[in-house]
Amino acid sequence: MTTATVTPHAEVAAPSKDRSKLVGGISQAVVGAFGLWAFALGERTSSGADTIFGFSLTHGQSQVSVPAQATALTLSAIALACGLVRIFAPVGKTVLRWLSVLYIVCMVLAFLVWAAAGSSIGLNVPSILEQTAVATVPLVLGAMSALVSERSGIVNIAVEGQFLSGAFTAALTASMTGSVWVGLIAGMLAGAAMSSLLALFANRYMIEQVVLGVVINVLASGLTGFFYDRLMALNGAEYNTPPIFNALRIPGLASIPVIGPLFDQNIVFYAAFLSVPVLWFMIYRTRWGLRTRSIGEHPLAADTVGIKVLGLRYKNMFYAGLLSGLGGVWLTIGNTGQFGKDMSTGRGYIAIAALIVGNWSPVGAFAAAVMFGFALELQTALSPLSTPIPGAFLQMAPYLVTIFVVAVLGKKVRPPAAENKPFKKG
Amino acid sequence: MVTDTGGIDDHSFNAESWAGMQDAASASGGKIGVSYVQSATENDYTSNIASLVSKGCKMIVTVGFAMADATTASSKKNPNQMYAIVDNASSGSKIQGLQFNTAQGAFLGGYFAAAMTKTGKVATFGGAKYPTVTVYMDGFWEGVQYYNAQKGKNVQVLGWSEKTQQGTFDTSANPFGDQSGGKSIAQTFQSQGADIVFPVAGGTGIGALEAAKASNGALNAIWVDDDGFYSNSAYASVIMTSVTKGIATAVKTSVTDAYNGKFTSTSFIGTLANNGTGLAPFHDFASQVPASLQSELATVKADIISGKIKITSANQPTA
Repeated sequence: MTTATVTPHAEVAAPSKDRSKLVGGISQAVVGAFGLWAFALGERTSSGADTIFGFSLTHGQSQVSVPAQATALTLSAIALACGLVRIFAPVGKTVLRWLSVLYIVCMVLAFLVWAAAGSSIGLNVPSILEQTAVATVPLVLGAMSALVSERSGIVNIAVEGQFLSGAFTAALTASMTGSVWVGLIAGMLAGAAMSSLLALFANRYMIEQVVLGVVINVLASGLTGFFYDRLMALNGAEYNTPPIFNALRIPGLASIPVIGPLFDQNIVFYAAFLSVPVLWFMIYRTRWGLRTRSIGEHPLAADTVGIKVLGLRYKNMFYAGLLSGLGGVWLTIGNTGQFGKDMSTGRGYIAIAALIVGNWSPVGAFAAAVMFGFALELQTALSPLSTPIPGAFLQMAPYLVTIFVVAVLGKKVRPPAAENKPFKKG
Repeated sequence: MVTDTGGIDDHSFNAESWAGMQDAASASGGKIGVSYVQSATENDYTSNIASLVSKGCKMIVTVGFAMADATTASSKKNPNQMYAIVDNASSGSKIQGLQFNTAQGAFLGGYFAAAMTKTGKVATFGGAKYPTVTVYMDGFWEGVQYYNAQKGKNVQVLGWSEKTQQGTFDTSANPFGDQSGGKSIAQTFQSQGADIVFPVAGGTGIGALEAAKASNGALNAIWVDDDGFYSNSAYASVIMTSVTKGIATAVKTSVTDAYNGKFTSTSFIGTLANNGTGLAPFHDFASQVPASLQSELATVKADIISGKIKITSANQPTA
């Protein structure tokens, strides 16, 4: 876990100054050396144990067993070398970036080799990939929703509430009509209704947006909880037994070993991952994107050149709500079916953390969401392996990663300048 | 009756307790009047109990160990008031504890799972690490070990070890209502080779049922608390059996006794012997359960009741 926390620092630090290159390099090297000591030379791997990696979703098929110590040694040494290169070698920005990627991969793998050493269960690689991706879906959708609204200058803490109302409405309507598509549309619109409510109070009544967002989350939790009690708890067969989206197998891609399962998912899953490049293009390459960024940075200037600031903010909040509504749709008819009270369980907040860690950029937020998704999945995959790490610590992992990364990146990230500032014309 | 924060329709111990209250009322032919107040948050416990005291209720049932302090405090102020508390021990002379040694029922569940697994691996996980949760997981674990010892097999339990008291729990902010998390945990277990999963996690466990349903027979589940065949009928096809906890019966008995002037402050402990816990019918799986296993389960049950099999879990309730 320490691995994941140090490197993003270096990544952001790299372009700025030589000093941060030095700090980043040293911290990478130190953590690499720690890996060498703990993962490769510790008693868990030094006893000549093997680590089993499974490369098929079905347990026991296509397993590869590697000697734990040698592998951890090699991986940690490469990681250490990455740090040293960063300190001493005069390499360019692109090389530095790839070095960071290599570093993260090596450290995470070294950790996994160590954690699974000597276990007869081993690590199932395709399953870890699939579960990470699945856990990432709502985080990505939430982060993209918050991205659209915050880039327009409105803080969207209410992603959690939009998830809940989307999840509830999707489950209810899909149950009643028997159609996932009705559920999809209704769920997205319910998310948009919640975000439009936020937009109304933020734009027209100029309420402090963070407070407003929290209030809307409580409202969504209360409303969905109330209707759950009144409808779903009393007649679950009619109101809370929705159909679920079928998996759409992508021919060819789905047959690839290891990553194949990622291409045998449903349409909401694909939409979530496609939303990242699409939004990147929309934000940075279209007129809408330029205008959105301008009302989030300097609404007065935007207004001066004739952009309708409030109109665009309302519109964008609606779009943002569609995205987080889709995240809610995923929670019920995209993944597990039934609605349950407060089933979003804080994922909306983690999505916002991902956006901040990712510095309000689509690709950065996506990377952060994947990291959180991986941290969530990791404790599930590792807990049966009897690692020396206490269970409570594994459970904390996603949240510790969040705190560390936000703390380390704290000064490097910058929110849109006009965020949380209501726009008043004239 | 005062509910915990889950509310009256939680499909779990609040609903069960209320069912027991209603049973007591109807069995008495309407002579016992019952009502409930719901706690929205933990801050409501004290005031809710006080409101029932001032209403003149003879017997107050509080649901959940979280309410123990509030119940004791109220008892001190009203020394003649009768109380019963679900999932907690008796305290004082006027509070009867209604507890359930679900390790016994889960032991049978573990034995059953070990006998039914085709892959040699079974799994369990909890919502959060509470004694009322881990007592199930301990029992399940011990049941599997007992099967291994009897049959010379080596069925593994993923997700919990009684020895280390470490295992798999939901990590979210709402650990008993995180269906996505439950599905993910169950699918991970499946990828690690398990073919039977025993979720002790309320709504989170419904995600595990969904994972079982999506697995096309590769993964099946054992439900917890009540008979999942009825409480989660949409997933009846993947529920092999359930480990039950007889809250309703215990509440009914306690309330009826209090009405008849037979109130006791001795804790009621639900066991296999008094049907306070047990294994539900196999329903759809009945045809797949060999007769030999059914008779073995009956023997194991009798041995637990007679004390021949000792359950060692430290999480078992004590009077």
